[in-house]
Amino acid sequence: MEPRSSPSPPDQAPRWARWFVGAYLAVFVLCGVAGLEAWPLTGWRLFADARQARQPGLQAATVDADGRETPIPFRDLPAGFRGDVQVLKGFADLSPARQAAVCQAWAEEVRARGGEVAEIRIYATVTDVSDRVGDRAAPPTRTLRFTCRPRSADAAG
Amino acid sequence: MPPGEAALRRAEGWLFAPGDPRRLAAVRIGLCGLLAVRLASGPYPELATQPAALFRPISFLRLLDRMPSPEVVAALQALALGAAVLACVGLLTRATLPVAWLAALPLVAMTSSLGKVVHNDVLLLLCLVPLLPSRAGAAWSLDARQRPPARTGTAFGWPVRTAMVVVAGAYFFSGLGKLLHAGPAWVLSDNVRWVLYASSDTQPDPNPFALFVADRPLLAHLVAAATLAVELGFPLVLWRPRLAWLFVPAALAMHAGIGLAMRLDYSVMAAVVLVVLVDWPALIDRFHPPGQGEAPGPVPVEERR
Repeated sequence: MEPRSSPSPPDQAPRWARWFVGAYLAVFVLCGVAGLEAWPLTGWRLFADARQARQPGLQAATVDADGRETPIPFRDLPAGFRGDVQVLKGFADLSPARQAAVCQAWAEEVRARGGEVAEIRIYATVTDVSDRVGDRAAPPTRTLRFTCRPRSADAAG
Repeated sequence: MPPGEAALRRAEGWLFAPGDPRRLAAVRIGLCGLLAVRLASGPYPELATQPAALFRPISFLRLLDRMPSPEVVAALQALALGAAVLACVGLLTRATLPVAWLAALPLVAMTSSLGKVVHNDVLLLLCLVPLLPSRAGAAWSLDARQRPPARTGTAFGWPVRTAMVVVAGAYFFSGLGKLLHAGPAWVLSDNVRWVLYASSDTQPDPNPFALFVADRPLLAHLVAAATLAVELGFPLVLWRPRLAWLFVPAALAMHAGIGLAMRLDYSVMAAVVLVVLVDWPALIDRFHPPGQGEAPGPVPVEERR
């Protein structure tokens, strides 16, 4: 067993260090307990809600001139497009001009990859993940909520 | 003395007890190395080209109406990466470490400005905070080559222990959030099954790991209970350091499981746990006892427990 080092009286943490650590840990704990988001401080909400089998969601799809629908492949788009879940969640609260700008951004990126986009449709979906068809959930029920065309957005619901 | 005050005094005594300069150095090298890797491999140039309509800013980035320009991002990335590498090797550490942190901050904020906080990088940033004003370059650094060897002292204990509190707190508050928002249903309901099914369904191919657990209700309950136990119990490592042998591998296993089943990358968070909670100098001393040529400061007993 090694001898415990005993610091001499002058070897104490300076007052500024005590205040610094105290203040830092106080706001860290406050954010954690209250679930506050003051980035980079955070409330650490990681999968905090209990999920139900019936899960609401939103889905965006492009439609070509022949009326064929294709889900927008957000995972294959650049990193700046991968906040689709959050953008879709807040879509209804955006101004018409901002909705049109979002659709325009998605359409341009899909077109840049060779896709044809006559319009974009946004559906509200409900998926029952307990209803399995093989290794996948049964297709969700869908309700059309919005239809956007280049540089315009028509609220359909 | 009231019990609350006595507990605070004990906590203060623990936080500000002397520490080994080499342990602080190990944390500096590990965290700055991780930061450098993240800065070198992050999607910042790609994010800089994001159309303004998709910008969902967080924190101070709300001052902007779109992501910082590619030119600004390139300059910040070069500055932050260079400073992180210098801080890692311990050159001008008192300056390079804060510069690396400050320049990295807006870049990491960009990754959380897609509408969701990226906790993976947040823990790294928060654990670096106590090192910013500390003497993190006093050992195992280029700075230290020009000075007499640093000895165990209070200046080297509190930065590491504060980072340990932050790691333990991150897991504890994650568990607390589950209890507060979902309650016992987080474990007792089929919550984890539905999470795993939903995750598998959004992946290009069905995920066999997610489906293996989700198809077995009892196993899913066990996974949920174990997750909550690890998260809520994590602060015990501060009280009994030996419990790190249980909680650190458990946390790593949890992140590995999430990675396999949900394809969510928490590798940086897992690496931060290893860097901060493992007593690297004690481990090195165990396998390579200090020779006559080296004269490191004594390692306090509490650091070795």
